[in-house]
Amino acid sequence: MAGVAQPAGLPAGPFSPLARSQYAALTSMRWSMFRNSLRTTRGAIELGARSIAFAFYLLIGLGLAAGFGGGTYAIAASGKWEILSALFWALFVMWQVVPVTLASFQEHFDLGGLLRFPVSFGAFFLLHLIFGLVDASTVMGGLCCIGIWIGMLFARPDLYAWAALALVIFAAFNILLVRAISAWIDRWLAQRRTREIVGALFFAVLLSVQLLNPAYWSSQKHPHVSARTRAAGLRWLEKANSVQRWLPPGLAALEVERSGGRRTVAAIESASLLGIYVLGVGAVLGMRLGGEYRGENFGEAPARRKVEPRTRSWLLDGSGPIAAVMEKEARVLTRAMPLIYALAAPLLMVFVLSGLFIKRGVAQGPANSFSLLVSLAYALVGFTQLFYNNLGPEGPGIQMLFLCPTPMRTVMLAKSLFHTLLFFVDAVLVCIITSLRIGWPVPAAIAATIAWLLFALPVHLAAGNVFSLNMPYRMNLGRITRQRGSQASALFSMLIQLGVLGIGTGIVAACSYFHRLWLAVPVFLVLALAAFIAWMRVLSSVDGMAARRRESLLATLVRTD
Amino acid sequence: MEIAAIQTHGLTRRFGDLTAVDDVTFSVAQDQFFGFLGPNGAGKSTTIKMLTGLLEPSAGSIEILGQPFTAGSLDLKRQIGVVPEGMALFGRLTAPEYLRFVGRMYGLDRQTTNQRTDELLDFMQLSNETRKLVTDFSHGMQKKLALAAAVIHGPKVLFLDEPFEGVDAIAAGMLKSMLQRMISRGATIFLTTHVLEIVERLCSHVAIISKGRLVANGSIEELRTGVASSLPGLEAGQRLTLEEIFLSIVGAGGQEAAQELSWLA
Repeated sequence: MAGVAQPAGLPAGPFSPLARSQYAALTSMRWSMFRNSLRTTRGAIELGARSIAFAFYLLIGLGLAAGFGGGTYAIAASGKWEILSALFWALFVMWQVVPVTLASFQEHFDLGGLLRFPVSFGAFFLLHLIFGLVDASTVMGGLCCIGIWIGMLFARPDLYAWAALALVIFAAFNILLVRAISAWIDRWLAQRRTREIVGALFFAVLLSVQLLNPAYWSSQKHPHVSARTRAAGLRWLEKANSVQRWLPPGLAALEVERSGGRRTVAAIESASLLGIYVLGVGAVLGMRLGGEYRGENFGEAPARRKVEPRTRSWLLDGSGPIAAVMEKEARVLTRAMPLIYALAAPLLMVFVLSGLFIKRGVAQGPANSFSLLVSLAYALVGFTQLFYNNLGPEGPGIQMLFLCPTPMRTVMLAKSLFHTLLFFVDAVLVCIITSLRIGWPVPAAIAATIAWLLFALPVHLAAGNVFSLNMPYRMNLGRITRQRGSQASALFSMLIQLGVLGIGTGIVAACSYFHRLWLAVPVFLVLALAAFIAWMRVLSSVDGMAARRRESLLATLVRTD
Repeated sequence: MEIAAIQTHGLTRRFGDLTAVDDVTFSVAQDQFFGFLGPNGAGKSTTIKMLTGLLEPSAGSIEILGQPFTAGSLDLKRQIGVVPEGMALFGRLTAPEYLRFVGRMYGLDRQTTNQRTDELLDFMQLSNETRKLVTDFSHGMQKKLALAAAVIHGPKVLFLDEPFEGVDAIAAGMLKSMLQRMISRGATIFLTTHVLEIVERLCSHVAIISKGRLVANGSIEELRTGVASSLPGLEAGQRLTLEEIFLSIVGAGGQEAAQELSWLA
């Protein structure tokens, strides 16, 4: 047929003429989308914010790369190869954890839309890998790999090729694993049943981490370990070491170690095993993408029953719009895994980060004054999306909020009240975690922290209402990964969070320095009053703001991309 | 003189250099089933968005039930129901939860909201789907739910943007009879659709918009007479269909031959 890039009947592999023309079309489409996005002020702000975020992550990545490079140099120069695997394990953990905590630099593009075109599975797989390659985890992980290679180059220049081989295969493994994990998480969360199971597992992990706490403390209080226990521990460590050598980080380290000992065949063997892992993870990712490619569609609904029970239950009584909005928010929240995850993940991080305070002596020292404040500030991070994009989950439903005879001010107030209640629950959990981990700070520090919260919350609610109306972005409540976000909103909200935290820690530090910690309470209360007045002023102008931003809001949240 | 249900004066909406709706003036009497027609991109949805407060007019004015209407006219909003272009549904709620939410947002009390929710779900044949999330509904089911939400508060004026799109024949028949009953009870319905047969069967009055300008307005009989008188060679007693009237007013452009695609099988 004239004008067709690839005649029918020819194999349509990932590098066929048809696939190549499709890649070119996609590249051109992405470029056009990027260029068109710059036509608006918001698009330009987004680009600026993305550039800043990229530079920020790049700096972190460079710092980590220097650390990994230094570590490698020290290990290789001293010949203590047995420690090298620890370095690779650290890199592996960082590579897999970063995507959970950081957003991607680039806008996510739903590749499902490509399935209506004659795209081969190979091309679909390749596109899935390429889109999102400029990801925080890949950039930072890649820089760390380069750091390790440079460290090795300085310490053992003869191993540059072996180190490069190990690092390339290790990087490929990590990139594929991150993708496979996110793709499978989305798959599990796509159905109500599996979502409930994953949710239960998540909270079980959270709970078990809490239960580990007493055991940890008991070992801190009773540092004496019997010779028998110590021997058992060592035996366990040996076993763990023998197992980790067969896992990808261990294999990568082993390949370098064996090449350093001129054991070429053994090094090739390790590299080959690592390559098998890459193929295995690639196959796992392929299985998932194969499902997407075949056009699977998972419903949320339970199996239909013959007679449905007619429930008339209301979560919140009262027929007023505030109760209605709060009830709707509660129902949506329980069915939106990204929101539940965002709220719960900081709790886990608080548990982990509170370990920083548990160095002997610090828990009772001045740093303890900050522990609760910093933990609560971190818990607030989980509320960023709820506070700063509170209209994002509405989607086309935003029209209903404009059509009904309820002022937008009332809607925003109801949302703010609900989010405050939710934060209160989170804050109680954070207090329990920190008190178990670090112990309670002095009463003056507790009072200062509560007063700081009274200041921080209205600031976030006020700024959140403004951001929600001016920089909304549509959220996909059916998936955790591959979300489209607004880098500008994320950046500015983070700056506000840092500012509020900076004011809090600054005032507490100053008052502690002069041994007048209690003085922080009235200072925060004055600030809280000012913040509350500011929030009220924002609320009173919400209707006007919503009217001015109405078209932009509807365009962003209702229109299909 | 009876107060018009909907009245516009010089309604205009510009998007940059494009004038999507240009100086549109019309009136819809109470109890009227009014069809608002036009080709794609003519300005129908833009007009309905301005009439319901989702879009601010660049110029002109709107009156609903004799009172000036703006986005902040909360009392008037209680009197109108809307099925907008994007349906305004919340995907993560079930149908009863959504209807209860809408009822409360319109200020209905608990008992009325519950009762009307049940009745509407039964009427729309959605009562077996009370545990299914709206996001899992078919397009037609979503349309039925959007229509149920638009009428839960018993509006006097109903704006429907393509309400029958994607709805099966059985449900469409049911909806038509429901809308006709609303008219007989004194409601006013403003309908946009591309299905001219529906307009011909349901609507007493029609307005046609083309390229943002109102090109025809009146009862179907008035339009029929007007078009018949301007068409040469029309046999006496020949009754024009609404499709013929529409094509005659808007114009097919006589481009059938030019638009033929030679490469298409």
